[in-house]
Amino acid sequence: MSLEELTAEEIECILRQASKFKDEISHPKRQTDYLKGKRVVNLFLEPSTRTRIAFEIAAKSLCADVISISGKSSSLTKGETLKDTALNVQALGADLIVVRHSSPGSPLFLSRTIDVPIINAGDGAHEHPSQGLLDIFTLRENIGSLVGKKITILGDILFSRVARSNLWGLKKLGAEVTLAGPSTLVPRQFEAMGARVSHDLRESLADADAVMLLRIQHERQSSSHFPSLSEYTKMFGLNAARSKWLKPSALILHPGPINRGVEIDSELADSERAVILDQVKNGIAVRMAILYLCAQSAGGLRKND
Amino acid sequence: MTDYCIKGARLIDPSQELDEICDLTVANGRVTFASPDASVELLDCSGKIIMPGMVDIRGHLQEPETLSSASDAAASGGYTTILIMPNSGPPADNPGAVHLMREKASKDTNIEILQCGCLTKASEGEVLAPLGSLKEAGVVAVSDCPSSPQNTEIFARGLEYASMFDLPVIEFPRDLAISSSGVAHDGPVALKMGIGGYPRMAEELFVQRAITVCRNLGAKVHLTSISSAGSVELIREAKGRGISVTADSTPHHLALTDECLLGYDSNSKTMPPLREELDRKAIMEGIKDGTIDCISSAHEPCHKHEKEVEFDLAPAGVTGYETALSVVLGELAKNMDDPFPLITKLMSLNPSRILEVDNTIAEGRMANLFVFDPNSNWRYKASQGRSAAKNSPYEGFDMKGSVMMTFSNGKRVFNLI
Repeated sequence: MSLEELTAEEIECILRQASKFKDEISHPKRQTDYLKGKRVVNLFLEPSTRTRIAFEIAAKSLCADVISISGKSSSLTKGETLKDTALNVQALGADLIVVRHSSPGSPLFLSRTIDVPIINAGDGAHEHPSQGLLDIFTLRENIGSLVGKKITILGDILFSRVARSNLWGLKKLGAEVTLAGPSTLVPRQFEAMGARVSHDLRESLADADAVMLLRIQHERQSSSHFPSLSEYTKMFGLNAARSKWLKPSALILHPGPINRGVEIDSELADSERAVILDQVKNGIAVRMAILYLCAQSAGGLRKND
Repeated sequence: MTDYCIKGARLIDPSQELDEICDLTVANGRVTFASPDASVELLDCSGKIIMPGMVDIRGHLQEPETLSSASDAAASGGYTTILIMPNSGPPADNPGAVHLMREKASKDTNIEILQCGCLTKASEGEVLAPLGSLKEAGVVAVSDCPSSPQNTEIFARGLEYASMFDLPVIEFPRDLAISSSGVAHDGPVALKMGIGGYPRMAEELFVQRAITVCRNLGAKVHLTSISSAGSVELIREAKGRGISVTADSTPHHLALTDECLLGYDSNSKTMPPLREELDRKAIMEGIKDGTIDCISSAHEPCHKHEKEVEFDLAPAGVTGYETALSVVLGELAKNMDDPFPLITKLMSLNPSRILEVDNTIAEGRMANLFVFDPNSNWRYKASQGRSAAKNSPYEGFDMKGSVMMTFSNGKRVFNLI
């Protein structure tokens, strides 16, 4: 459901499992058919490409049967409620349901409605736990333990589920998190969630071990939170000159999709310090771990040791 | 008609500053303090309290509620008069709609149902409704609740025009420009949950607007469902300067905070939204010092299936008639030894003055009163309620005190004794 509700130990457990799967899938001969005969339904009621595909590949890598339902092809366009759609998916024999929805809390609502384990693949501006986990996985691969590390998340924090999941997860593993961006998108109230809030780009980059950029989600901003994209880029976009404010070793992450030339310069996105494509790759192993562990806790799986 | 003698109860009627133990008889529907004759049914009510029937100033009557289920629910909660907001069914913006409603109310209900008319046509805030004709048709107040005219000229003209007819205007202060996408209080809880915020500012700006308009035009206004600490402050200051403004808050805003939303429980979605502890405390202070005059039930029924959807898509609204008194008592009892005199003011006397209802308990008057047992506690279960709607955040809550018997217009309309 969320990284807010997980303990550090539970996060470690998922990351360990992901690491095993990453190993196994790199050896083509190794069998990873732990979900053979299980039916995984991807219920994607909001447009998504990379998360949906990553979950599909993850489920297929575990030899599960995968069915993907997207917003446009579902009965919701015919007036069926989310509750009824989920009851139908349950009746059709789903063993796991992966849900993406624009309404915050809808995976939780579904988990109270049906008995099938629900995996949150992003719910509005609430959380995106699998993205948070793969970001943390990628960070740890590159900079080791997160205890005492300084991570800056820069951009549209207000509307970002990725920022919230990362904030909870990173804090639990001992990192210090700074949320940065324009004051209208990074309200001070985030301090109540344990973050440091900064509206000064230079200061927020200065001692970061990694900076995580977020896409400016123009489609989510119901009113004008900043004057224009070009003003945003001028004030908060990361470019080659500003990257000098970063420590030489600092990493750049981005959950995608990237708006090149808006929140990040094209060359910087392709540079050595950017681990954006590692994130995508790691997304498979992390989601395999999530699917596997959820199915395991629901019962009836052979063990992967 | 059976006559009843309620013996040994504490009678509280703040309109006459009455607070004493007495025997009160309802004979032929009228109140008498004379010794009852032999045919009267004697009810030992020592330890219980007789209060004037409660008067509600904000209730909505949409599906699944009917006039008859609403009046049963209200009677069981101690209400003898309820004001129905004009968005219940076809908008009450023309005399025909008001006549229809009043005709139905006279048949299907056993308490007094008063109609609130629209302030503007269809409550859209663009053109004033025919307030004079509405008053002739029987409305006792006008309002666009749960909306508010966004155009200040319309609002000011409405107040000015309604004052000509002594028609109270009930304003639900909400600036839509900064709250239209808000489904919860704009605070740390909403931020964490990733849901759109409805800031205090949206209310406070319009509270200030109402105060300023009243001061400049010499008009008066009643502000309903105050939820924010800043509004309480503004109203306190305005009253101190002699501006004709009255205000109510709701049991929910006195008892609950936005923490209730953390599990995405759509039954805790209210309009206006639940706010923070500091707001809750300010409302309590406002109630104690008279800044907040009334508590309205904010009864807003919803179908179960309407609430069983995504949190942000679920309608706001909470049923209120059956829980209002016990919830308010529960909160006030934490703050004072004897909350009953204040409760009768908040839930009966003050709203009755705004709506010009006379619920005085006096010799020869028709009985509009109820008997309350402060020591009979109960657990709220929506499924057992009389309201046809079950959308309540109080499911499983322990409730303080029970309404035992209600008389409306002389008739016993509810009885547990």
